Amino acid sequence: MRLSWRDKLTRWDGKYTPYLIIAPFFLVFGVFGLYPLLYTAWVSLHDWQLIDGDQGFTGLANYAELLSDGNFWNALGNTVSLFLLSTVPQLFAALGLAALLDRGLRGRAFWRAGVLLPNVISVAAVALVFAQLYGRDFGIVNSLLGLVGVDPVDWRAETWASHLAISSMVMWRWVGYNALIYLAAMQSVPKDMYESAMLDGASRWRVFWSITVPSIRPTLLFTVIVSTIGGMQLFVEPQLFDPGGTATGTGGDDRQFQTLVMYLYEKGFRLFDAGYSSAIAWVLFLLILVVAMVNFAVTRRIASKG
Amino acid sequence: MSRTSVGRTTAITAVALTATLVAACGGGGGDAGDGTVKLSIGIFSDFGFTNLIKEYQASHPGIEIEQRTVKMEQHHTQLATQLAGGRGAADIVAIEEGNIAQFRQSKDKFVNLADHGALELKDQWAAWKWNQGTTDDGKFVLGLGTDMGSLALCYRRDLFQAAGLPVEREEVGKLWPTWEKYLEVADTFTAKTPDKKFVDAAQNVYKAILDQTEEGYFAKADDGFIADSNDKVEKAFTLAASLGEKKQTGALAPFSQDWNVALKQASFATTTCPAWALALIKAGAGDEAAGKWDVAAAPGGGGNWGGSFLAVPKQGEHVKEAAELAKWLTAPEQQKRIFKETGNLPSQPAAYQDPEVTATTNEYFNSAPVGQIFGNSAESLKPTYRGTKDSVVTPMFNNALSRVETGKQSGAEAWEQAVNEAKAASAK
Repeated sequence: MRLSWRDKLTRWDGKYTPYLIIAPFFLVFGVFGLYPLLYTAWVSLHDWQLIDGDQGFTGLANYAELLSDGNFWNALGNTVSLFLLSTVPQLFAALGLAALLDRGLRGRAFWRAGVLLPNVISVAAVALVFAQLYGRDFGIVNSLLGLVGVDPVDWRAETWASHLAISSMVMWRWVGYNALIYLAAMQSVPKDMYESAMLDGASRWRVFWSITVPSIRPTLLFTVIVSTIGGMQLFVEPQLFDPGGTATGTGGDDRQFQTLVMYLYEKGFRLFDAGYSSAIAWVLFLLILVVAMVNFAVTRRIASKG
Repeated sequence: MSRTSVGRTTAITAVALTATLVAACGGGGGDAGDGTVKLSIGIFSDFGFTNLIKEYQASHPGIEIEQRTVKMEQHHTQLATQLAGGRGAADIVAIEEGNIAQFRQSKDKFVNLADHGALELKDQWAAWKWNQGTTDDGKFVLGLGTDMGSLALCYRRDLFQAAGLPVEREEVGKLWPTWEKYLEVADTFTAKTPDKKFVDAAQNVYKAILDQTEEGYFAKADDGFIADSNDKVEKAFTLAASLGEKKQTGALAPFSQDWNVALKQASFATTTCPAWALALIKAGAGDEAAGKWDVAAAPGGGGNWGGSFLAVPKQGEHVKEAAELAKWLTAPEQQKRIFKETGNLPSQPAAYQDPEVTATTNEYFNSAPVGQIFGNSAESLKPTYRGTKDSVVTPMFNNALSRVETGKQSGAEAWEQAVNEAKAASAK
């Protein structure tokens, strides 16, 4: 049977229109995502100066140097430490906050909008305020510690102190955001499950861990993956916490809180070594990819169990 | 103008970050349809241009000038990326003395101002300032000098009095003909007033001593790394580190938020002050400290810390007009007015020797005759040679001093680590 012109159009429409509709995304991704990624890979194989450009192909020399670069491993260690210190407590706090918001509070909308506020405020403003809170000589945190008899802490100089301070900044910004995501998931948990649990005499605590948390598992995993990617790329908070600022970009006098992205920035934009900086960018990209894949595998296993 | 705005406020960084994005998208200059030439000037603190620009626009109809101000470090980073990308740079850009050696390496991205008649103006500047802005044996003029940072030492009169030290600036200057004497004064001060710090930061003292030597980290002859053999560097470091070891410094990052707070709280008694630093001290200490700070001669004589140049990137659309404007802004008459307005010391003898300039006093600093103090200091000034990698290795030594101040390392350990790091970085 011969298809009519109209039928042909309909078939064509069904076949190709979806691709046309999603094409802009891939176009934009290609221009702003894929192209820079590939170009960075190309730059990383060269001795490339930021202003003067290509100074010659060097193969994997930048990567070889990176692997024996103590500062790189230091930055990696700091990144992981800051990531763990900020993400783990952050997600637990968000979970608790979401559980509270899930209960019938007065002025619900107010509280829900309120927890998102820290996330809306510019990160630079947050860093400015926290830098003052954690001031060594005249900071509020140290004066509060003084009230309970603790000696003042030099928040920027000590490794652990600086990590705690920066993590608190990250937590402040992201707890509310994650709490809202959890809250949305919690509200779709069927209420009759709670009711039957209550009838069986389960405590609130038990209900939360046995019903609420397992029900929102996919959401939990989503936030873990997103926080991981964010945590690996931590930059502005520690950079602005550094009193030397971008003048040094070393994350403290002993590189005690320099993250991978800060090291990338130092190499590329203060020392103008674009080739080396690109190599760091690629290693970071691969690291995130590996972590994301591990996360994904875990997701699938847990999801299939559920 | 100088190393003025290092970490001055984080808020500025926020603005600068945004500005970086915006500027990265915008082009330089550009024309309106009506034939107006639009020029932009990229600077990183108050260069005192605002009034001058208005005047220039009035006398040059058809030229419109816009200033873009970002934080100093951001400014130079942004300039580097704009030069690399071939677009986005302002028509005239300021480059700080500590960074110019690095940009000299990329001179082909800049207009040779000699092609626009700059060579005839050579004698306007102090010879060393002119040389810093040129390359290829003076044939390539990269930048025209604006201000300079001849050195003095600021001290707080009330803290000196409390420590039983003289308070009048002549006598104070006589207390410390050398940096060794300065350290002795520190000991006296600390013994009398142990709660107060004698100086804000070891790295400021270090920088000041280093700026009084002819060569620093790199050899004048061949730009080779000599910090490990040039005993003047080690001596400067050891002197500064000993202040840190004795906890006589505030261990502050210069010009940071904490530094401002410490100024406000009067927690340190002295700080090195090049001409441009006066405005920062005044801003940090606030009105209630008016008349409490004063300016004395620096130990060890004159030195230069900071100061800038105006350069014209090749990528601009109106390099000719830009070069004309840069020449006008750096002419002695204009620089003299800038000094009176902002306190930025001109690098042109005709300007800093001008009776009007030398007669200038600064009311905030107990009416100190700043024109005379900085003018004299400028006369005896022997600038330090800045190597191409100066801005690369400098933070390594500053971090080392900071480690001494926070008690992580002894002076000797910190020195050894810094020298090794710097040596490795210079070999690349």
